[in-house]
Amino acid sequence: MTLTFDSTLDLERMRRERHARLVASMHEDGIDALLLLGQGNIAYATGLRVPASDQNLAIHRRPVALVTVDGAAPHVWTWYPEGLPAELPADHAHDGLRLEFADGARTLASFVTDVCPAGTLAVDELTMPLHAAFAGRALMDPSVCLGRAKLQKTSDELECIRRAQRINEVAIEDVKAMVRPGVRGTELTGRLLERIFELGASANTVDPIWQAMPASIADGPFTMTGDIIFPLVTTPRPFEQGDVIWVDNGISYQGYQSDYGHTWIVGGEPDAVKKDQCARYRAVIRAVVDAMRPGVTARDLTRIAKGVEAGKRTPWLKHFYLAHGTGTESAEAPFVGTDLGDEFDETQVLAPGNVLVLEPVIWDDGQSGFRAEDIVAVTEDGAEMLSSLTYEDYS
Amino acid sequence: MPEHLGRTLSAMADAGIDALILGRDGNARFVSGADRLSLTGTRAFAPGCVVVRSTGKVHLMSTTDDGIPADIAHEQLYDMSWNPMTIAGNVAAIPGLADARTIGVDGMTPMMETILGGVLPGAELVDGETFLREVRRPKSAGDLDGIRNAVAVAEACLATVVAAVAPGITERELLGKFEARMGQLGVTTPAFEAATCVAGTTPRAIVTDRALRTGDLVHLRGGVLVEGWEGVLARTRAVDGATGPQGAAGERASAALGEAVAACRPGEVIAELRARPEVTALEGVGLGHEELADDDALRAADVVYVEVFVDQVLLGDVVHVTDAGPEILTTSPLDVA
Repeated sequence: MTLTFDSTLDLERMRRERHARLVASMHEDGIDALLLLGQGNIAYATGLRVPASDQNLAIHRRPVALVTVDGAAPHVWTWYPEGLPAELPADHAHDGLRLEFADGARTLASFVTDVCPAGTLAVDELTMPLHAAFAGRALMDPSVCLGRAKLQKTSDELECIRRAQRINEVAIEDVKAMVRPGVRGTELTGRLLERIFELGASANTVDPIWQAMPASIADGPFTMTGDIIFPLVTTPRPFEQGDVIWVDNGISYQGYQSDYGHTWIVGGEPDAVKKDQCARYRAVIRAVVDAMRPGVTARDLTRIAKGVEAGKRTPWLKHFYLAHGTGTESAEAPFVGTDLGDEFDETQVLAPGNVLVLEPVIWDDGQSGFRAEDIVAVTEDGAEMLSSLTYEDYS
Repeated sequence: MPEHLGRTLSAMADAGIDALILGRDGNARFVSGADRLSLTGTRAFAPGCVVVRSTGKVHLMSTTDDGIPADIAHEQLYDMSWNPMTIAGNVAAIPGLADARTIGVDGMTPMMETILGGVLPGAELVDGETFLREVRRPKSAGDLDGIRNAVAVAEACLATVVAAVAPGITERELLGKFEARMGQLGVTTPAFEAATCVAGTTPRAIVTDRALRTGDLVHLRGGVLVEGWEGVLARTRAVDGATGPQGAAGERASAALGEAVAACRPGEVIAELRARPEVTALEGVGLGHEELADDDALRAADVVYVEVFVDQVLLGDVVHVTDAGPEILTTSPLDVA
């Protein structure tokens, strides 16, 4: 049975509001036509659904969208017509193109040129034949334009994220019940994928991670950064008694991503050290979430998180972040605590509708650590949890 | 040196390509053998893997050597970053790359083109995807073993789905059965989310909440990646036993698949094979989906996925093209009941 929800979700309204935001953002950057080849960008701009597939297939069966600043319905090219939004006019729906070949690329470039002969054209990514087909035409990078539109989620977008996360959390209950010495991470993956589809997920988006963590960094695999190595690809290695498993997986609902993280102990209860690590994780989350409101910067949040763990290691992974945004991409702006540095973080100012996936890491070298994930939306005057785990006493 | 990298370097010399900067998983896996975390969907180009012809070395963006073959030294790994300028700097520092005049790339973004142009001035960026597609295309005996193994896993997963076909089960629950079996077999990477969809006038690829009913035909199309290699197949089953007309449709589809497979011989033009009225797919199979051009012809050592759709029955097999004729790698029964 699929999971049912009492809350309101109006997908048609969501598509309309997103399109309006994107067009407004194009106005701001002086973009006349926006050509999109990235799946997450197309999902955002048009509401098109495509079946999830490995990148090798996805790039060859990629959809395309063309958004124009006049606010007209976008043009969409897809191999999967059943995924077209109902309200898209029939003459704006086109068959999928083989963009790795000159013919398909020229067909698209010539359509785009007809629609936008001389104005400013922005393109998120290019196949090399498409690159050749646009030779001589200036192409603008639309990252800023797309980021501006996506940054503040509508109520329907927030509801999609809430539902994606709920499906993920419910599915994981069955998976967690399987954890014992001898079970393999790959079996957990099988059960998780089975369960998310039963519950109504639209797609799985990342190979699920159940990584046995070493007691200390030196016991783990080679590291370029000197820091904890995570995530690693799941293998059929059987879990052992006492393994500390860091869990990370992501599914999607109507194009929106969930992000589930937790730490599990195989075949036993957490001892006092582990309970303390969990409590410190919760303390970081509490402090950061309490501070989240419009006007607060990413730099404020990293300062607060470090303050909770004062005198200890920075409470997140060096090659990642304290938090990332989420939406139609699993990790999108805003980013908090990346190697872009404090000065960059200072410029990231929270606004209503921003969504952050907080993923602090508590690590005591020699004693392993605790990592989980909490999804939080910025509201008009504070923050709202979109995920529902509290991790109290490692639960 | 691993065979795939050797073949790549030799083809680079023939094509006058000094280096490759690659963003795509299939290409990176082909040249390096690295097993990296699989994410679904498209991703914008970013330089995740570099091949330098003058040194013969492959370099990977990775924070660890886990999943990286032992013949790739730690010095051949470069760090990731959230700052594209930092990544470009790491790439530009790779020994020998600064001297490369012609660099093949497998995609581009306007921003990355500007940044790479800044750190590698004077280099011309050319189409590395078309180049590598040719290099990846002929399948060695070892490659074939990988594909056979993947096909066997996909068939085992599909057999579990076939056994679950019954009135009341939903399309999305059938998809779940495929993936559960896959995980039990130690594999976590579907090639695509299985299309377990009730038959209609055209095949669908996105499952719904629709429950199967007696008298339905249901399409069962699934694929997996095992150590990167793809295995894929499509079958159709009647729910609760085939009616006479359904059984006959199954036989017509099975015959059509046989004819389409028989036509897969060296020299046959791809567009003509695709133009057969019953054929819905003719695609390359390798490290995931591999694309074939319409105006190209089949060659010995190609491996292709051939699919037909006849009277609502969808059937697809993986076929090894040889000079001695097509060799079918899929063994699952074709009947609908």
